[in-house]
Amino acid sequence: MLESGLCNYVLISYGHSALSSDSMMQMLTDLSGDDAVFGHFGATGGYALAARRAMHTFGTGPETWKQIAMGQRQWADLNPQAVMHGKTMSSEDYDHSRWVVEPLRLLDNCLITDGGRAIVVTSLERARDLKQPPVVILGMGQHDQPAEIGQALTMDGPTGAKKAGEAALAMAGITLNDVDACQLYDCFTYTVEITLQDYGFFGPGEGKDWFQGGTIAPGGRMPVNTSGGQLSEAYFMGLTPLAEAAMQIMGRCGRRQLGPATGTREPRIVLCSDNGGILQSHSCIILGRS
Amino acid sequence: MTDYSKPLPKLNGDNRQFWEGCRAHELRFQQCTACGLVRWPPSFLCPRCHATESTCRIASGLGTVFTYTVYHTAFHPGFASELPYVVAVVALDEGPHVLTNIVGCRPEEVKCDQRVKVVWDEVTETITLPKFAPL
Repeated sequence: MLESGLCNYVLISYGHSALSSDSMMQMLTDLSGDDAVFGHFGATGGYALAARRAMHTFGTGPETWKQIAMGQRQWADLNPQAVMHGKTMSSEDYDHSRWVVEPLRLLDNCLITDGGRAIVVTSLERARDLKQPPVVILGMGQHDQPAEIGQALTMDGPTGAKKAGEAALAMAGITLNDVDACQLYDCFTYTVEITLQDYGFFGPGEGKDWFQGGTIAPGGRMPVNTSGGQLSEAYFMGLTPLAEAAMQIMGRCGRRQLGPATGTREPRIVLCSDNGGILQSHSCIILGRS
Repeated sequence: MTDYSKPLPKLNGDNRQFWEGCRAHELRFQQCTACGLVRWPPSFLCPRCHATESTCRIASGLGTVFTYTVYHTAFHPGFASELPYVVAVVALDEGPHVLTNIVGCRPEEVKCDQRVKVVWDEVTETITLPKFAPL
C-alpha cells in the first residue's frame, strides 16, 4: 500500500480496557465452544495442554519456565512503565506461585492490562524526515498449524514458528547468529521456550540449559522481552513485542536500553514474533537499523 | 437432573450424530469411505483426502492420554466444587483425538500415554458426556 501510493502512513494500534472490564476473559472463555462442557476454558487451559505434552516428549518443565519468568521480570524492573516494575521475583516466588491450570502457575501467565500501543509504518524516505531514527523491516515470515488444541499434533513443536522463522531469516539474508535480541509474543512462559526452540536457538529440551544463568535477562547473551514482555510489562497482543523492538533499535528505552548500559549487544537486528490461538498461527518479523 | 449447572453441548447438524450416540453409550464418528480416516470434529469432507462420502464408525472407547491438565481455577461457577479436575486430550485407538475429562482416579495419577476407557456421565435426560477412566 505504501509502495503503490495508496497511503503514506499506516497506523497499527491496539487498545483495551481488559483489566477494568471482564471483556477479555469473556472473549477467551467464549472461544471454548463445546470444550466448556468438560470444564475447559480460555487460553491457560489450552497452553497447559501444550506445555504438558512438551514435558512428556522433550522433558521441559517448571525449571525452564522459571528462568523465563524471572529473566523477563528483571527487565520489567528497569522499565518504569511495566506493571510489574519494582516487584522482583525470586526462585521461591515462582515455586510458590499458585497453580492456575497445572502445569502452568500464575507466574507462567501473561498479564491482563488496561492500555494500548501503536506503531506507524511508512516509507523509508518519509521516515528519514521524522523525529525518530527509522527502523526497517528486514524480513518477515508467517506459518500456521491451524488445528484446534484438541486435535493439534504440533503443540510440542514444530509450531508455525519454524517455517515462519526460516522465511524471515532468509528474506533478511541473515542467520540466528546475527540476531542481537528477541521480542517475542509471550502469552505464557512455555510460548517463549517453544518459539525460541522452533526458531533454532536450541534443540528440543535443550532450553533447560540454554536459559540457565540469565541468558535472556539484563547482561545476558540473548536478551528476550526487554520491556518485561506480556508476562511482566503489559499485554497488548503482538504490539508489546513489536513496539519494544522498534523502540530498542531507535534507542528510546532508558535504563533498559540494550547495549553497554545493560551489558548486552547493541540492538542492530531484533527478531520479533506474534502468535495466535493456541500456537495455531505464527508471524515472525525481523527489524533492523536503516 | 434439571439442576445441572455446567455448560451443555450445542447440538447442530454436524455433531448431532455424535451426541445422540453418546446418549446410547456409543462413540459414533465419521469414517471416510475413500481413505478410511476416522475423523473428529465432524465435517462434510475428509480433511485428509477431501472425499465427501462417509460411514458411521463406532469406536471401541479405548485410547491413550495424549496430554492433560489439572484445573485449579474455576472459570465457570459450575466447576468450583470439582476442583482440582483433569481435562485431557485422549487419542482413541481408531485415531480421533477428543477433549474430555479423566475421572475415576486422583489427578496426580494421570500420565501421558496412560491407557484409558470411556465411561458415560449421564448429566441430563438427553445429554451424556463421554469421559475416560484408567483401565
